[in-house]
Amino acid sequence: MPTAKDLQSLGDREVVTLAKAGKEAAYRELLRRYERPVFSLIYRMVRDRALAEDLAQETFIKVLNALESYRPEYKFSSWVFKIANNAAIDQLRRREVDTLSLDGAPDARTADEVQATALQAADRQESPLAELESRELGSQIELAVGKLRPEYRTCILLRHVEGRSYEEIAEVMDLPLGTVKTYIHRARLELREYLAHLRT
Amino acid sequence: MDKQLDASDLDTVVLRELSRLPTFGPGRGFADHVVARVRRPQPASLVLLRRAGAWVLQPSRAVSLAAAYAVCVAVGLRLAVPWMTAHAPAFSFVSSWVTAQATAVFDAAALAVASWAVELGAADAIHSAATAGPRLWAALAALTIGYAACGYGLRVLLRAPRRKDVSLAGAL
Repeated sequence: MPTAKDLQSLGDREVVTLAKAGKEAAYRELLRRYERPVFSLIYRMVRDRALAEDLAQETFIKVLNALESYRPEYKFSSWVFKIANNAAIDQLRRREVDTLSLDGAPDARTADEVQATALQAADRQESPLAELESRELGSQIELAVGKLRPEYRTCILLRHVEGRSYEEIAEVMDLPLGTVKTYIHRARLELREYLAHLRT
Repeated sequence: MDKQLDASDLDTVVLRELSRLPTFGPGRGFADHVVARVRRPQPASLVLLRRAGAWVLQPSRAVSLAAAYAVCVAVGLRLAVPWMTAHAPAFSFVSSWVTAQATAVFDAAALAVASWAVELGAADAIHSAATAGPRLWAALAALTIGYAACGYGLRVLLRAPRRKDVSLAGAL
């Protein structure tokens, strides 16, 4: 039986095959790989931490319970993001929420829990001043992204935050490739407008 | 922000900062909650059996099936009993003929086995073993122990496998 370390070296398809056989370690490996990207996407879409956590849980339960229906010709990540995006869009259609906390989970009680659930910045070799500026700019960009309409927001987040290809985004959103490119172009234009105050 | 951006730089900076936006993590125990609510795959036969059981055990269906069964039995008896009563002599003749034939076959078989045992000298061997006393008891004891050992071995071999990667939550 492969250990958790062995699983880390396997591709998504192999891990999915093991998960289909009911291996709990494989379920956990898939969760480890996708819990942060999926949660981040949903959180940035619905902008409510507790709600995002519920939706992320629903997404993974749906994904893991429906592994039998997963078709290997599609990328597993596309499938997961598609289910996550649908969950977020459905939620947005039902209600509007507009708060984005940069802190840890509200139910985090200890400092460790807060740390584990808070924003996780990538390592940057920057001076404290540059980092502060960058953080400030990042916050403004977060706010600007939050103003985009949901379809544009998904496109921009998948393309520029998650680094997904146009083709994968088209698969995730069930849209023609050209439409995805148009959405991303328009989203960038809107971001430019929202951030116009940063220009000289 | 101290430094304002040139218009030409804005796009580049926005795209760069987008790619550097941090990721968020769900709360502690997220994976445990998800795994606890995932249905484990089961053998197809077991799934079919459970589905059939669930289908049958739905109150309305269970009552309908029980009623249908009772009606079938009642109708069957209503038809069969008068017919059998009307044909009682025939039934009696057939049953006595079948019994006679079976008895004859059994007698013939017993006779054949007995004559075969006599021809082989098995009767003498059984007779001498019966008189052997301690040796017979030793043989019976060995047979009993061997039987018990085989039973225990089968029990060990047929024991349900222990799955080490199934959580208690999943098993429940």
